[in-house]
Amino acid sequence: MAEVQLLDVEKRYGQVLAVPRQSLTVVDGEFLVLLGPSGCGKTTTMRMIAGLEDITSGDILIGGERVNDKPPKDRDIAMVFQNYGLYPHMTVEQNIGYPLRLRGIERTERARRVREVAQKVELGALLARRPSELSGGQRQRVALARAIVRTPKIFLMDEPLSNLDAKLRVTMRAELKHLHHELGITTVYVTHDQIEAMTLASRIAVMREGRIVQLDTPKRIYSEPADLFVADFIGSPSMNLIEGSIENGRFMAEGISLPVGVADRKDVVLGLRPEELEIVPGPDAPVQGQLYALELTGDATLATVRAGDAFVCARGAADFSAEIDSICHLAPKQGCRLHLFDRVSGNRLAA
Amino acid sequence: MTRHFTWWAERALLLLISAVVLFPISWMFLTAFKRPRDAYSLSFDFTPTLQNFVTVFSSPWNLGSMVVNSAVIASTTVAIAVPCAALAAYSFSRFRVPGRKFYFFLVLSTQFIPAVVIVLPFFIMFRSLGLLDTRIALIVVNLAIVTPFVIWMIKGFIDAIPTDSEEAAMIDGASRFRVIRDIVLPMAAPGILTSAIFCFILTWNEFLFGLILTRRNAVTLPVGLVSFRTERGDLWELMSAAGVMITVPIFIMALLIQKHFTRGMTAGAIK
Amino acid sequence: MRDRSLQYLLLVPAFVIVLATTLYPLGYSLATAFRDWDLTRSRQPEGWVGLANFSRALTEPNFLNSLWVTTVFVVSSVVLTLLLSNSIALLLRRKGRMHTFTRTVLILPFAMSPALIGVSYRFMFNPEFGVISKGLAAIFPALDGVPWLASPTLSMAVLVATDVWHWTPYMTFMCLGGLASIPRETEEAARVDGASGLRIIFEIVLPQMKGVILVTAVLKTIFALKMFDQVVTLTGGGPGNSTETLAYFIFNVGFRWYDMGYASALAWILTAIMMLISAWYVRMLLSERKMATA
Repeated sequence: MAEVQLLDVEKRYGQVLAVPRQSLTVVDGEFLVLLGPSGCGKTTTMRMIAGLEDITSGDILIGGERVNDKPPKDRDIAMVFQNYGLYPHMTVEQNIGYPLRLRGIERTERARRVREVAQKVELGALLARRPSELSGGQRQRVALARAIVRTPKIFLMDEPLSNLDAKLRVTMRAELKHLHHELGITTVYVTHDQIEAMTLASRIAVMREGRIVQLDTPKRIYSEPADLFVADFIGSPSMNLIEGSIENGRFMAEGISLPVGVADRKDVVLGLRPEELEIVPGPDAPVQGQLYALELTGDATLATVRAGDAFVCARGAADFSAEIDSICHLAPKQGCRLHLFDRVSGNRLAA
Repeated sequence: MTRHFTWWAERALLLLISAVVLFPISWMFLTAFKRPRDAYSLSFDFTPTLQNFVTVFSSPWNLGSMVVNSAVIASTTVAIAVPCAALAAYSFSRFRVPGRKFYFFLVLSTQFIPAVVIVLPFFIMFRSLGLLDTRIALIVVNLAIVTPFVIWMIKGFIDAIPTDSEEAAMIDGASRFRVIRDIVLPMAAPGILTSAIFCFILTWNEFLFGLILTRRNAVTLPVGLVSFRTERGDLWELMSAAGVMITVPIFIMALLIQKHFTRGMTAGAIK
Repeated sequence: MRDRSLQYLLLVPAFVIVLATTLYPLGYSLATAFRDWDLTRSRQPEGWVGLANFSRALTEPNFLNSLWVTTVFVVSSVVLTLLLSNSIALLLRRKGRMHTFTRTVLILPFAMSPALIGVSYRFMFNPEFGVISKGLAAIFPALDGVPWLASPTLSMAVLVATDVWHWTPYMTFMCLGGLASIPRETEEAARVDGASGLRIIFEIVLPQMKGVILVTAVLKTIFALKMFDQVVTLTGGGPGNSTETLAYFIFNVGFRWYDMGYASALAWILTAIMMLISAWYVRMLLSERKMATA
C-alpha cells in the first residue's frame, strides 16, 4: 500500500500534447477513478503510472520513491486490462500463478496461493481450463485474481468492466467494491462510465483533453460540478442545461422564470437535475412548455418538456401520464440545488 | 430455377479450376511410374513400375546425393534465418526504433532485387574462396533470398498478436526477454512455423543460384532436373520420377500447415 | 533502460545477414558494372570504362530484344493473373465442400519448383507425345502437330501459361484476403437497394478492392520481372531469342560468354527498373493508407 504522486507530469507524442503539465496525488488506500470520454488522456495517465508509457517531463513517485526510470516489473503494481490480457496458451492456474513464478516462488507455495485467490473470486472449479474456454465474466475474474495474488502496492484498472454485458457489469461492480474494502490497496481506476465512477470511487478525477477538470468526492462532483462539462457528464439522465440570462434577480429563458440570488448578467446557463424537478399542476410554474416525450423506466416516468429551444427533462411519478404536445408545468423540488454557469467559459458561477 | 443453375455452374467452374491445377501435377506423377515406352504414349492404361525411381537413385544420376544436398541446405537455411528473422520482426513490431520505417523498407526492398544482380559477385567471391560447388555457398545465397521475406512474414504474425498479454506480463514482473520467451513465442508459434515452412519451400525450390554455383558435389534437386537432358533426348520418365521426389516432401509440408498457409500468403499485405 | 538497447540488439543478427548477403554483393556488382571484365581472359577486373557498358546495352539488338520480350511477358502474365485471380477469388468466397477442396488444391502450384513446372510443361506440349498438345489436337484437329515450342509466339504463350499457372493461386489467396476484409453490410445494403449480383461486384466490391488489386499487380510485376527458372527448362530462351527475357539474357552474358562487366551493368538496369516500380508502389501504398485513415 502506498500513495502515488504525479508531480508536474506532462506527456507528448512528438508534437502532440496528450497530457498537459499537471500534478495529482492518489492518497494511500483510496479508490481514485479517472473519468472522462474517450481520448481524454485517462488511460495515458494510468499507463504512465504503470510504466508502460514514458513521461516526457515530470516525476512519478510511488510510496515516496521516484520510479520514472523503473520498468513496470520493478514498480510493484498490478493491472487489470480492458481486454484482460490473459495468456491464451496457459491454463487459468498458470495464468494466476505467473507473477509468483516470475518471483521464484516455489511450486507448492504457488499452488496454495493461487487456490486461495481463486476461491476468493469463485474460480476454484476452473483452474485447469484455458482462457478460450471461459466466458467474458470468468476471464475478467482470472485477470482480477492474477492481479491480487501478489498483494502489490498499487492496483491499476483500465476499463475492466466495459467488455461485459450490462447485468454482469453491475454484479462485478459490487465485487470490486467489496474487494477494495477487504484488501484496502490503493487503486487507480479508469472508465468512461460515470455510474461506475460514482459507485466505486472515493474520489473522482474528471478529465477532458488531458486535463483534470475536477478532482473531488463523488458526492461533491454530483452536487457542485465545477463546470459545464462535468455537469453534463455526471448524472443519468444528464443534467438539464438551459441557456438564458439573469434579469431582475430571476433566470429568464423562453417558458422559464426562476428566482436566483445572483447579480444580473447575460450568457448564463442554468443547470437542473431531472431528479430535482417535479411535475406540477397549476399555471404559475417556473418552467412551462409542451410535452415532447414520455419515457417509462419502471420506477419513474421521465417527461421531456420543450420550452422554446430547450428540452427540459423531469423525473416524475411512475403513474404520471399525459398527451404529447399538451402543456406541462415543472418546478424545482423543495430545497434542491440550482447550478449556474457562465455560458462562454463554462465555469460555475458563485451562487 | 436460376439459383439451381448457378449452384451447378459454380461447382462446375470450381471443378474445372481444380482440374487445371491438378492436371500437370498428376500427369507428372503418372509418368514417373510408367515404363519408358508408356511414357511416350498417352495411355492411362499401363502397368506401373518403380524402375524409374531405382534408376534415378543409382549412378550416374545419383538423385540420393541431390536429395541430401537439398535437405541439408534447406534445413540449415531455415535454422539460421528463422530465429534471426523472428528477433528482428519482434523489434520492428513492438519497438519504436528511430528510423524503423527506413530499416524495414531497406530490408523489404531486397526482395525487389533480381537474383542475377547478386549472383555475379557471389560467383566471383566463392570462386576466389574455393567455395564453388559447396553447400555452404548455397546456404549463404539462400539466406540472401529468404531472410527479408521471413522477417516480413513473421512481423505480420506478431503484429496480429495484441500487446495486452505482453504488457500484463511486464507488469506481473517479467523482463522483456522473459516476455518474448514465455508469452510471445508460444503465441506466435503457428506463424513462425508457417514462415519456417515457406522458407524451406523457397530454398528447396531454388534454381538460379544452384545452377550457377554448383557443378557436381552440391547439386540440388531442381538443378539436377537439367541433368536428365541428354544428347539422345530428354528422359521424361526419369525426369518425372525426379520431379516426384522434388514435390512430394513439399506438398506434405504445405498441406500440414494448410490452415495457416493462406494466412501466410496474405500476412502483412492486407492491412 | 534495457529495452532501449534490446531493441537494437534484436535487429543485429538479421541485419548482419542482410548486409553480408545482399547489400555487400550489390555494391560489388555496381562497381563491376563500370569496369571491363572478361572472366575468360583474367581473374581480376580489367579496367574502368565508365558508362561504356551501359551505352553498349542501349545499342545492342540482343538487349533491346530482351527488353521487348520481357515487356510482352510481364504485361501478359500480370494481366492474365490479375483477371484470373480476382475471378477465382470471387468464386471461392463462399463456403462449401467443393470450395474447401479447391482452396486446398490451390496451395500446390506455389509449392512447386518453377524449374520443374517448366520441365513438366515442356513434356506436355511436346508435339509428338505431349498430353496437352495431343489432347488439344483431339478437340481441334487443326492443332495437330503444331510445334508449340518451336514457334516464337506459341512458345511465349506457353511460357506465360507456366507463370500464370504458378502464380495465380497465390494471388487468388491475396484477393480472398482482400475480399474478406470488405464488410458484408456494403453488399447486403446494395442488395436491399435493388442491385443485381453483377452490379454489386462491379460497383460495390471491386472498388473496395482497389488497394489489394494494386498490391497484387505490383507484386506480380516484380515476380514476373524476376522470372528465370522456366526460361531455362522450358524454352532455353528459344526458339532463337524469342523468349530470352532480360534476366535470362543477363545470365547468358555472364555465364555463357563470361563478360562480367557488361552483365553487371545489365543486371543493374534490370534492378533499376524494379526499384522504380517498387518505389512507385510504396508511394501508392502510403497515399492509400493516408486516404484510408483520413
